[in-house]
Amino acid sequence: MTHEKIRELLSEWLDGELDAPARAAVSAHLDACPACDAEAARLRRLGPALFRAPVRPDPRATEAFVARVMARVDSDSVSLWERLAARVLAPALGLALAGLVFAIAMPDPDEDAPLGVAAVSADAGSAFEVAP
Amino acid sequence: MTQTGDGELARSAAAGDGDAFAELVRRHAPRVRALCAATLGGPGEAEDAAQEAFLKAHRALPRFSGEASFSTWLHRIAVNHCLDVLRAAGRRRSDSLEALLEADSEALGRALSEPSPAKSLEDRDAVERLLSRLPPEQRLALTLRELEGLTYEEIAAAMSCSLDSVKARIRRARAELAGMARHFPGADIV
Repeated sequence: MTHEKIRELLSEWLDGELDAPARAAVSAHLDACPACDAEAARLRRLGPALFRAPVRPDPRATEAFVARVMARVDSDSVSLWERLAARVLAPALGLALAGLVFAIAMPDPDEDAPLGVAAVSADAGSAFEVAP
Repeated sequence: MTQTGDGELARSAAAGDGDAFAELVRRHAPRVRALCAATLGGPGEAEDAAQEAFLKAHRALPRFSGEASFSTWLHRIAVNHCLDVLRAAGRRRSDSLEALLEADSEALGRALSEPSPAKSLEDRDAVERLLSRLPPEQRLALTLRELEGLTYEEIAAAMSCSLDSVKARIRRARAELAGMARHFPGADIV
């Protein structure tokens, strides 16, 4: 393999992610090539230099964190209801109110109906009463 | 006494049991907080992000099917949230590499030449500014590898991307960092 190809594989080699033949090929190249071996060493040192291992958490700090999260969960649940009210209940209430206003404002159909229709209705009613 | 499993706690929490959710937060807070701290740097931002990740998990509990473990499911939510925060921060970032080198080269040289957990605050801030120059996806993939020791397959699952993407992101992140490190005086990785 060329130096370029080896350097392309160094990251996976460091992480143990190469298959056995590729791993063996990279290792053999590094044994024989000081320049690529130095590059591998540089990359290996990056991790510990830049990423600190997490410190063991203080149980009191964890409990304080739990309390902060639960306070936010509680207020989130309240605001969820508020959002629900704003999005669903308020429009529904508005719609019901509009319907009520519409019903009140509408004139009684019987009042405006032509005389003939009202008379027929009345006659039909009495016909039912008479006929067994 | 046997400890109640995460799955059972999650089901109780989804049904409105606050104590069950508090116990889940207690169990998983250390890992989520460490991930947010390593990925986002600033303590205030990391703390907010960790809280927000748990809040998102709480809202999503009704959709937790139990196919994956609760830990894996929560971790994925935290990873995605960190990615969102990093992307938003990336849009705000305006400092150039030249400005970074001018302000932080000595601190970065020290930090890189003495890989120890006991770095000064100044050195840690400089490292954070260095890492913040990586594209969000690269930084997160490298953090999951270096901090949590996840395999590439686990990183691909956590970031919902292909194995090839993970390989490329980690390789490019290391190459970019090694390239920048060459500018710092005294860093023995140069």
